[in-house]
Amino acid sequence: MPADDIAIVGWGQTPSVASTDLTEPQLCLAAVNDALAMANIDRHAIGFTCSGSCDYLSGGPFVFISNLEAAGAWPPISESHVEMDGAWALYEAWVRIQHGDIDFALVYGSGKSSPSDPALLFPQQLDPYYLEPLGLDPASLMGMQARALLDSGTATERDFAAVAARSRRAGAANPKAQTLPNGAGESDLDIDALLAAPYVRAPLRAHDLAPAADGAAAVVLATPAKARELTDHPVFIRGIDHRLEPHQPGVRDLADSPSTRLAAQKAGLGANGGGVGVAELYATSSAQELILRAALGLGPDVSVNPSGGALCSDPVMATGLVRIIEAAQRVADGTTRRAVAHAVNGQVLQHNLVCVLEGER
Amino acid sequence: MTTEKGSASAADEPMVVDDFVALTYHDRLPPETVRFADGLIAGRIIGQRCPQCRRVYVGGKGFCAMCVVVMGPESEIDVADVGVVTGYTIITPVRYYGQTKTEPFVYASVLLDGASSVLGGQEITGIAIDAVREGLRVRAVWKPPEARNYEGHSTRGWGSLAGGIVGFEWTGEPDVPREQYKEFAV
Ligand SMILES: [Zn+2]
Repeated sequence: MPADDIAIVGWGQTPSVASTDLTEPQLCLAAVNDALAMANIDRHAIGFTCSGSCDYLSGGPFVFISNLEAAGAWPPISESHVEMDGAWALYEAWVRIQHGDIDFALVYGSGKSSPSDPALLFPQQLDPYYLEPLGLDPASLMGMQARALLDSGTATERDFAAVAARSRRAGAANPKAQTLPNGAGESDLDIDALLAAPYVRAPLRAHDLAPAADGAAAVVLATPAKARELTDHPVFIRGIDHRLEPHQPGVRDLADSPSTRLAAQKAGLGANGGGVGVAELYATSSAQELILRAALGLGPDVSVNPSGGALCSDPVMATGLVRIIEAAQRVADGTTRRAVAHAVNGQVLQHNLVCVLEGER
Repeated sequence: MTTEKGSASAADEPMVVDDFVALTYHDRLPPETVRFADGLIAGRIIGQRCPQCRRVYVGGKGFCAMCVVVMGPESEIDVADVGVVTGYTIITPVRYYGQTKTEPFVYASVLLDGASSVLGGQEITGIAIDAVREGLRVRAVWKPPEARNYEGHSTRGWGSLAGGIVGFEWTGEPDVPREQYKEFAV
């Protein structure tokens, strides 16, 4: 049975900051209220709520329950939570709304990375016998991945720096993104300046790695009928799919992303980027952006991460949902008729989600 | 240790790897909690009144969870330090690490006058524990000003009074009829 084209009718996101003293429920509340206001619906019209977050980031037990207060859980609501990026919460809500018995679903993703050290925290995601005791942190894994890409002969460190320069220039124009140095441009001069920086994990430098941030994002989904009642320019989810690779990074070709390629195929993206004008990719390293572009078949004519992407702001657990929002924004405002958004979970592109969005103009 | 090929050797012994994990978190207190904590040090109990439903939260979270609207400094009011016991239990201490109590004690929920949310886990003094009851009128027992501090505040919860108040004592007034507080009785 073909899926109904569920629409995105509202969204909101907090500014991403390196550290906030607001609580995670406060971040969620700001994003949710903005999304509901944009959709112009009452929260009691929501038939299902799904959120994505990870309590390990802030170390607060059951923060994901506190976050639920941002949804307004009284009178009692139907809800679910995924210990994943908010993009997967959107996927669950998209499945739920297909049942045909509700009009609207609310999705949000949130995270506060500032209280913890990602280098100590994320090795706990790895297998506890061989990898976790090594203290193998995300930056080290991404360094190995970038090395694999260089060794494949398809990219250079200069390509990495060009991705970073372009992302920073785009991010400087995004009020929700963090303000980062070297946002000037992508001239040879700027790229030379980036290449002069020291390695953090060779062959990656600081600008090649996504800066973890605090933030939250929210989306309102609607049935096609309700979406057309609410807006003249609905943004439809034409396809969405996610695929998973093995947990052990050592058994994967880190220079490629077959799960992204398969998810794109299942989501109906089509060959050679499927004619999208905009792609918002959750790449936590500059090398990953190049791997994802290749997996999705995106040509040089596609605008990649016009928001600045995760290399400017990585509000972990919300970043993937932000990619969907940024892509939807550009469909809604007419920048492009068709866009693709990508989200990731796990280490070095282990688990990838692809969402194809389309407008009617 | 010596090893020999083909005999019971190190290769047959289980390898044991100790892997102790410690995660450290550095929290920043939310602005509401800082104002509440500073209030206690100054001898005030600050509540947040929802602009929509008018509920008054003691230890406000910066938003009303019922109306999902923001409550900032402009919503803050002083709440009385007298109230009523809306529920309680008597705890018989068992020995565990960190337990300093040896005798049974009362943990009560206290609804301050003018508040809509109870303060849980309050100690009640000035009355025999088997006489503690719902409806009891109680008054805060403040620490001396020089002993007040930021104790008990974290991002893990809201409304700890420990920085300024040690517990509540019976005022000796007549009990409050249940009708007057049953909406908040927990
Ligand atoms: Zn209210």
